[in-house]
Amino acid sequence: MLKQDIAWCPGCGDFPIRATLEKVLKELPIAGKDIVLTSGIGQAAKMPHYLPYSYFNGLHGRSLPLAVGVKLARPELTVIAVSGDGCQYGEGGNHFIHTIRRRLDITILACDNKVYGLTKGQSSPTTDAGMKNALDPQGNLNLPLNPLAVALIVGAPFVARTFAGDPQHMEQVFREAILFKGTSVVDILQPCVSFNKVNTYPWYRERVYRVEEPLRDRLEAIRTAETWGDRIPIGIFWRDVQFVCREGKAMFRKPVTEDAVTRLLNRPCIMMR
Amino acid sequence: MEFNILIGGEAGQGMFSVELELSELLSRLGYHFFATKNYMSRIRGGHNFHMVRVADGPVHALSGRPWDMIVAMDSEETERRHRPSLGEGGVFIGADRVGQIEAEAKGSFQDVAATSTILVGLILAFIGADPAAALTAADEPARSALTKGRDFAARWELAGRMVIAPKAGEHCKLDGNQALALGALLGGCQFMAGYPMTPATSILHYFATVAAELPAHFEQAEDEIAALNMALGASYAGLRSMVATSGGGFALMTEAVSLAGMTETPIVIVDAQRPGPATGLPTRTEQGDLDFVLHAGHGEFPRVIFAPGSIEEAIALARKSFDLADRWQVPVFILTDQYLADSVQVMEGRVPTKMLRRDYPVYEDGYRRYAITADGVSPLTYPGLSEARVEVDSDEHTEDGKITEDLDLRVRMVEKRLRKFEGLKEEAVLPSRCGDRKAKTVLISWGSNRLIVKEVIEALQAEGVALAAVHFGQVWPLTPKMARGLSRRRLVCIENNATGQFAQLLRRELGLKVDHRILKYNGECFTVAELLEKVKQIAG
Repeated sequence: MLKQDIAWCPGCGDFPIRATLEKVLKELPIAGKDIVLTSGIGQAAKMPHYLPYSYFNGLHGRSLPLAVGVKLARPELTVIAVSGDGCQYGEGGNHFIHTIRRRLDITILACDNKVYGLTKGQSSPTTDAGMKNALDPQGNLNLPLNPLAVALIVGAPFVARTFAGDPQHMEQVFREAILFKGTSVVDILQPCVSFNKVNTYPWYRERVYRVEEPLRDRLEAIRTAETWGDRIPIGIFWRDVQFVCREGKAMFRKPVTEDAVTRLLNRPCIMMR
Repeated sequence: MEFNILIGGEAGQGMFSVELELSELLSRLGYHFFATKNYMSRIRGGHNFHMVRVADGPVHALSGRPWDMIVAMDSEETERRHRPSLGEGGVFIGADRVGQIEAEAKGSFQDVAATSTILVGLILAFIGADPAAALTAADEPARSALTKGRDFAARWELAGRMVIAPKAGEHCKLDGNQALALGALLGGCQFMAGYPMTPATSILHYFATVAAELPAHFEQAEDEIAALNMALGASYAGLRSMVATSGGGFALMTEAVSLAGMTETPIVIVDAQRPGPATGLPTRTEQGDLDFVLHAGHGEFPRVIFAPGSIEEAIALARKSFDLADRWQVPVFILTDQYLADSVQVMEGRVPTKMLRRDYPVYEDGYRRYAITADGVSPLTYPGLSEARVEVDSDEHTEDGKITEDLDLRVRMVEKRLRKFEGLKEEAVLPSRCGDRKAKTVLISWGSNRLIVKEVIEALQAEGVALAAVHFGQVWPLTPKMARGLSRRRLVCIENNATGQFAQLLRRELGLKVDHRILKYNGECFTVAELLEKVKQIAG
């Protein structure tokens, strides 16, 4: 742990997520200098500040296009985008869908506490219907987004859910997600000790159970992702062994040459149809 | 001697093909020419027209003179709109004759698309192009259609009607967007992300096409927000990167412009302007985004804005943009517009193809991305080169890139970022001048109007009226040096917008009072004849 003032509330689920991520990254067969973290804004998005790796902590909702840019520019780097549910599914919801479609080897971690913390207790895209929050005094009128079902439908080849209260499980899921060659999506169930008085550690502990057996197909994975209520499955719901990951181009420190540019002169103008 | 032709019709009737094929052959045959287009935001139907000006000397603008030839690919609209502007002795090729050409295309070549090539053959015959040279210059499949065009010209007694000598010699022709893409490559750009938007789209097309064969990449983003963030990610990782869009797309990019300012990530942003507000006139021209680009992005941070006025300048400034962005770690903007983007021009001089060198410095562990320095520029490196971590943050940050709320440090960081502005001022590109330097009246332009103004100055000179012109290829920052020789003159500012944004900026930044403004904001560019008339009213 770095000697640093950490901006999270005491008891926040971000602490065990950070500790587990640090352990996993240290133990991976990847040089630390080749790891880049991107994040957006929110409490979870501060994660890279508390880990010993290069990072680009950008704007709210934009961790994913940053990750795409880094990965396309430098395919040899291991790229992990980490942010909260508001960032990845709300402000960055469009990027969430389209980043998955790009078939790049990026790990998407969403610290999902089902509430907005840093802005003090408003509903998030994953807040359950009816829950009372700062801007929903009558209870949340919207349906909760199921991020993993969305990820599966869009075509994510690696989809998992884990729980901040189960470091051992997180460790296994993080490791496999990062090592998986393709876009991996991990939704991390995480209590918010300050603003979410419903989805607490005890609430989750009564409900979560591990899915150990690999699921047969994507439809079964979607059904599992959709399971929510008295029983909440965690585990790797889908791993597409046939997935073809997009390979980036080696461009870094290989500039375009003057000869190549000269050869491009006198190309016909492009007809904009 | 010059020849002005308009080819009109509905979108999809092949006018663009005529322009493309004609300009390609004119270029190969060594003609001086200028080509541009006026089109609607639709795929089929409506009314579009393409204009080509061929001359025995350099031309870089629409003359605005009566047409020497009008080709109507449609039955009524082109005739109704443009026939009144046909010059005395001008030739109108209407539906009946185009119909005969189409029948020939279908009959001889089983392909209605050959119509455009036959028309090109006819036009080349009209201006007296050497038939043998034309055939040699053409690609093999086009040769027999070109000959058919000559035959039509002979049959209709059009051959050699207006003989123009090809005096440009061997040269390169480019449209404004090609020039920007080429300049970007010369500046070392290897990454572009974008979302298509007229009139920037052909920069994307051009970059994507050439990137396929180069160590470069184009990524189509889900929106402009993603486009600029991707480009910033790629820049952070070590590739010189750019985005190109128009005003509406740029509006979405503004939060990431601010991100580039705060994180000091080098980036080049092209805004190909079109008339707004909102969707405006999607396919027409305007210079309405100067104030917007100048102020885009929340907070205070330095930036540079270029506004090239020619193909050469577009290449040179695009190349320079990447170097500046990299060395000063600031966003650099290039303001172009539909007129420059869609105009094909001949480069009389050699294309400057010299690439600028760049470094990839490596630092030791303990590297601080935002180390406070005298000129405000912190050492820049990229992840993975050593144990040095590259820590970049959109919050106010410490020298090593960590979130901070230390307000004394905040002040030092603000000052560090703004110090770069002083260095950027020293490197500012001075305006270019032409005409009589001692003249009392000075025509001021920025961006795409440069060469229209130049031709106006030359025309007036021929009439014995001495004027000067100053063109700003860099519109921000403006420095006192740029104002040299402009005080105590009668200043006339020429802009394609309704509020005279640059005139106001000159007043605010340099204390220059513009006496007259010539503004056009109907979505079309100035023609030489039109601008000449307006200048005469002021300076005549």
